[in-house]
Amino acid sequence: ALVSCHRHYRSRPTHGIGRFKYLLPKEAPKKKKDKVQMKEIDVGTEHEYGDLNIQMTSYDMCLVEHFAQYVHRLCNQLSVRVKESYAMPTKTNEVLFLEERGSKMQLDAVLTTHQRVVQISGLSSTFAPILLEVIQSNQPEGVHLLVKEHTEADFKSRLKSRPELEELLAQMS
Amino acid sequence: MFPGTSGGRGARRERGGNMAAPVSVMAASARWGRRFGTAAAPRPWRLFGAMCLLRPPRITQPLEKEEEEMAALMAQIELEKSQYSDHEIRKLQEEEQLRRRKESAYDDEDEAPGKTVIMAQDLEDKWEQKLLQFKAAPRITDADKNNDRMSLNRKLDSNLMLLVKQKIGNQQLWLLPQVEWQPGETLRGTAERAMAMFLGDRIQAKVLGNAPHGIYKYKYPRAIRTEDTVGAKVFFFKAFLQSSDLSQAELKEDHLWVAKDELGDYLKLEYLKKVNRFLLDL
Repeated sequence: ALVSCHRHYRSRPTHGIGRFKYLLPKEAPKKKKDKVQMKEIDVGTEHEYGDLNIQMTSYDMCLVEHFAQYVHRLCNQLSVRVKESYAMPTKTNEVLFLEERGSKMQLDAVLTTHQRVVQISGLSSTFAPILLEVIQSNQPEGVHLLVKEHTEADFKSRLKSRPELEELLAQMS
Repeated sequence: MFPGTSGGRGARRERGGNMAAPVSVMAASARWGRRFGTAAAPRPWRLFGAMCLLRPPRITQPLEKEEEEMAALMAQIELEKSQYSDHEIRKLQEEEQLRRRKESAYDDEDEAPGKTVIMAQDLEDKWEQKLLQFKAAPRITDADKNNDRMSLNRKLDSNLMLLVKQKIGNQQLWLLPQVEWQPGETLRGTAERAMAMFLGDRIQAKVLGNAPHGIYKYKYPRAIRTEDTVGAKVFFFKAFLQSSDLSQAELKEDHLWVAKDELGDYLKLEYLKKVNRFLLDL
């Protein structure tokens, strides 16, 4: 036969053999809007940091990406839980030199700034200085390193603003 | 003080071996309990907090031979695989135009002054000139050549640590700056006080965490031991210098900025072993 169909027809007693999806637990319907935040555990008596962001910025994209990969792998190996690893949008700066002498010449230079963020959670306070020191001593040249706690503002900076929504909200209130 | 340590510990172990098994186990557990106990019961150990002040490296270390070859190879592969950038395309186009103009014997002379005032080649020449004007700072500074251990400019590509000459018991020894712990103070505070004592108040040093990085304990020789003090424990903390200018007063004593491999020249063996345990080598 050209098309071999292994399905059992409805009138046959073997209809529905092989069904299993009804046995699996029910999944919650996936909403379009992302959940905002995980809960944060802060220091105190817990001796653990909450969500930490390791932000690496540089003009050189290869360096920054390789360094971000290195940090991610290091955390994996040291069994520090990496929650997210994302990149912020690149910022382009145009540098104009205005030479006043002679004719006004403008020499342009275009600089792109790249930023990568690795988000960690569950770092114990006895281990944190060691990890920070390792990362600090392995920093490549030209890469700025910043380690800070994750806040809502950081989360919001990743999302795009919707001017129409804001206009409507402003009109409403 | 220091030479007496290994002797004291060795003697203790021998005695433990002679005793019956359960008694020695109890003695061991009692010793451990005393070491980690945080109760306010009279502790026979005197506590010191020491600060290991590191100056982080300013330059990266030079690449090894294999690393350099690999880097050159990768660069060549990338160059061959890459595509032309805008600037290069522009340069090629202009070269073609020039060639065409020369071959066609100056036919379109009217176009020439109107079109490109600045050619890509001119830009490149300008950039090359600027690069030649730029002078990088030397990697091997004067302090390296003089081997001046007191200056901070010495080994720009490795960590430098502060060593101070301190009086312990009746000996003058080279140590990491340490100060005795006072009750009611955190050990980190003690270490910071030690640093402030030797280098003045306003140092921009960053301690990364509250946990000590290492511990060195030693027992006093029999002569000085009393009921209260059996020995001393020194807790080490690490701090990183943020700015490398120490214009504030370097108080008294001799101080040295020393790299890890040179530590052996100054520190005693047991002390050195414990200190080496928490020092990271880049």
